[in-house]
Amino acid sequence: MSTIGEFISYIQALGPAKFLRVFWFFVIFEFFRYFLLDLVGLILHRVSLWVNRKKWKRASEQLKKENPLVSIIVPGKNEGKHIFKLVKSLSEQTYQNYELIIIDDGSDDNTPIICKSLLKNGLIDQFYRNDVRGGKASAANLGLRFTKGKFIIHLDADCSYDNDAVEKIILPFYYDKDIGGVGGNVMVRNYKESLVTTLQAVEYFNSVGIGRIVTSQFGIYRIISGAFGAFRADVMDKIQGWDIGPGLDGDITVKIRKSGYKIHFAPEAVCLTSVPNTFKKLAKQRYRWDKSLIRFRLRKHKDVLFPNQGFSLINFISFFENILYNLILNFKWYFYAIDLVINFPDLLVHIMLTNLFLYTTMGYIKLILFGWFRTRSNAPNYYFLPYIPLMVIYFGYFLRFVRTRAYFMELFFKASYNDPWNPLKTSVHAKEKGL
Amino acid sequence: MKNVNTEISTSKENDRVIEYAGLSFYIIYNTDSLKTDDIVFYDAVIIQAGDPEFTRHIITRIRGHFNPEHYLKPVLLLNQSSLKDPYINLIDGTLYSLEQIKLILPSVQNILLRIKDLTFTSSLSYEALIIQKTISFMYSRNIDKMKPNVDFNSGIGYNYPILSVNFSRKEEHQVLNIIKTMTEEKLITKEFHDSVYLCNNCTSGYMSYREVCPKCNSSNAVSQDIVHHFPCSYVGPIEDFKNQIDDELNCPKCNKTLRHIGVDYDKPSIVNDCLSCGHRYQDFNVKAKCMNCQFDNEVEELKKSTINVISITKKGQVMAVNGYVTTSRDLQEIKGTVKLDTFTTMLKYEVERLKQTDGKSNLAVLHLKNSGEAYSKMTTDLQKTMLNFLIQDIRKNIPTSSIITFYSSSTILISLNDLPLKIAKRLTQDIVDLMTALIETNFKDMVVSIDHSVKPVSNKLSGELQIQQLVKDYF
Repeated sequence: MSTIGEFISYIQALGPAKFLRVFWFFVIFEFFRYFLLDLVGLILHRVSLWVNRKKWKRASEQLKKENPLVSIIVPGKNEGKHIFKLVKSLSEQTYQNYELIIIDDGSDDNTPIICKSLLKNGLIDQFYRNDVRGGKASAANLGLRFTKGKFIIHLDADCSYDNDAVEKIILPFYYDKDIGGVGGNVMVRNYKESLVTTLQAVEYFNSVGIGRIVTSQFGIYRIISGAFGAFRADVMDKIQGWDIGPGLDGDITVKIRKSGYKIHFAPEAVCLTSVPNTFKKLAKQRYRWDKSLIRFRLRKHKDVLFPNQGFSLINFISFFENILYNLILNFKWYFYAIDLVINFPDLLVHIMLTNLFLYTTMGYIKLILFGWFRTRSNAPNYYFLPYIPLMVIYFGYFLRFVRTRAYFMELFFKASYNDPWNPLKTSVHAKEKGL
Repeated sequence: MKNVNTEISTSKENDRVIEYAGLSFYIIYNTDSLKTDDIVFYDAVIIQAGDPEFTRHIITRIRGHFNPEHYLKPVLLLNQSSLKDPYINLIDGTLYSLEQIKLILPSVQNILLRIKDLTFTSSLSYEALIIQKTISFMYSRNIDKMKPNVDFNSGIGYNYPILSVNFSRKEEHQVLNIIKTMTEEKLITKEFHDSVYLCNNCTSGYMSYREVCPKCNSSNAVSQDIVHHFPCSYVGPIEDFKNQIDDELNCPKCNKTLRHIGVDYDKPSIVNDCLSCGHRYQDFNVKAKCMNCQFDNEVEELKKSTINVISITKKGQVMAVNGYVTTSRDLQEIKGTVKLDTFTTMLKYEVERLKQTDGKSNLAVLHLKNSGEAYSKMTTDLQKTMLNFLIQDIRKNIPTSSIITFYSSSTILISLNDLPLKIAKRLTQDIVDLMTALIETNFKDMVVSIDHSVKPVSNKLSGELQIQQLVKDYF
């Protein structure tokens, strides 16, 4: 009781200056970026939709009038068990002028048998198989080589799609001729499966469902998810497809941006995916993802950060925001922690509780307030209410530590080139050439 | 007493007949017509023809005939060594001079002796006829095993000597059905030899297996390697990497020259381009085009059939000697009749009944004399249809207590119970008139000749004996 009483006394005694001194990390970076800016971005997005409603309507009419062929490519290894569901999911689409190309990247299960059967029965249009695994980029590029459509959609086999998802993801190309790629809205299908999937659902709500609307609105949207992304075929031809991964979805987005095209996020183009259901699997996935920030932002595409012939301010901001909030602030948080330990050793418990209170409160407000801006949700908001306090530990500690390790390993050991996700025969070349 | 020649000599009546040891050998030259009707008058046939095609034709005519006097006739070849399977299995010996008749004589005599053991009956179905022919041939030649021979001219790819000769190439698959029936009737046993795949449309065994485009079924396609360039992950057909200047392969994405397979690039698969419809695919469809009817079969839909070596059983030999009348399946399919065994048993009970009562029952026989001619003009199905109609019409004209059976395909037995002989005779005559009208209506060119006889059932003789006495004049 005395502890709670002390904590309340501590809160009451905090003046604005002292609050800012102790909680500067929350106020300057977290609250400003992930609440205020997000809120402004969402409001601007809504305003933009209303202001440009006629333009969107014309885009929709033009799409229906032109009815272009869309090539859907699905590269993968051992994904046979998901393909039939995917085919059924696509057969429900409102947009039907598509060709479905499946690429089997050296599966060692019954994927080829399943796919050949589907091909024979006309449920998929093209099926290519490489007996030896070449990596996801090579499989995607093989599919890309044989596409005939005006637009290319890249899907993951284990995802399912809203029945208007294809139409919604193609539509922005008719809204703005400068858009070279469109990202779909990825939501968590198995959010009820375990604690870790529920926490990821909240994370996807914030970082994808809200975060990408905002970054897209500000023109700094930087990653088209591999699970659901659409590209102009001529742009893909120009940038010559995917490069070696891991992290190839972020890489191709940068390549498109560098070629002078815009990237757009389509929140209504909804894709459901199954996320890792244990913390161990999640850590492994994020360890792979997080390394790509160093590899692609700081190494391969570092030219974006420097004034040169093809310098683009918006690309610079996109990169800078990404590096600042993910890399610099990640390490800065440790400085913040050290600052607290050194300067406020007696108040650490109170500060941690206050931080928990602040982040949780912001989490609830975001869930409720930002929920109004969502036009499509796969889960009721109230389901996530009990989990919001845990997000502080999940996002603030668990993911931060995974991210820190990934950055460290990539910065000093170039660990991504040893990732078995990509075959060694290609990774050695990528490492050698700094790709 | 017949004068037996001890030396080979030419017949005084016919200079193409050689006589020796009491046997006459009829010589067929390749200048002759293809008619072989005369051979029935002689004990054996010698074919002396320079033209193998002519020889094959003559052998086919003799062995393909349905008269045992033809198809069982010993056939020898003179001065012909070029004859190959399957015809070599249809002859009984090869001579290099007429003098060698002396050497082959015991073999010919043995065949003729064994032929005398055989009983020939008309068969209910074509199938039964071929079965009779097969077991008779095997018995007369003392053949235990018949091995099928690979034969380009066979419709199923394999030739069973005395069986296949009865069918045209298009119908040769029926040989397999007959072997199946013979096995079911326990006339033969079979052991696996090979499998064949037959056309789903015409059952021919001649297929052209082709890799075709899954979209348009054309086999007009070109294949090329898919190349994966490791450093940049470009993947595409090898044509993307070729240039017009030299033989080097250059990556279209990063312009690097491909150096070392397995190190900087590999070829993980191939892709095919259909030159007919432009479809691009990796996996061909394999189709089997029938060279007989042109039908393009899906390979998984081909009919798989087993080719077996067949061996005649003891039952088969007995049936050859006693006469093979019909398959049990033939009889079972004709409604209104009972099996001969059942008929005999029922007659036995009737004889017993007559011993206890003063009743009068009769046994009638109807025999179609030219049944071979009639059946040869009908397919098996038509035969059965006709017989079914025939039995139905007979049934309408006789009391329901009467029993009908087929003694053979040409002989019908009717037990007319509890009827005076006079009425039984009248009923039988009505049936004969009905049968004559029915056959003549359906087969306009055929002259129908039906013998009949009616006898009262005696309570002093066994039913079996009474049947034998009644039918003996017809066999």
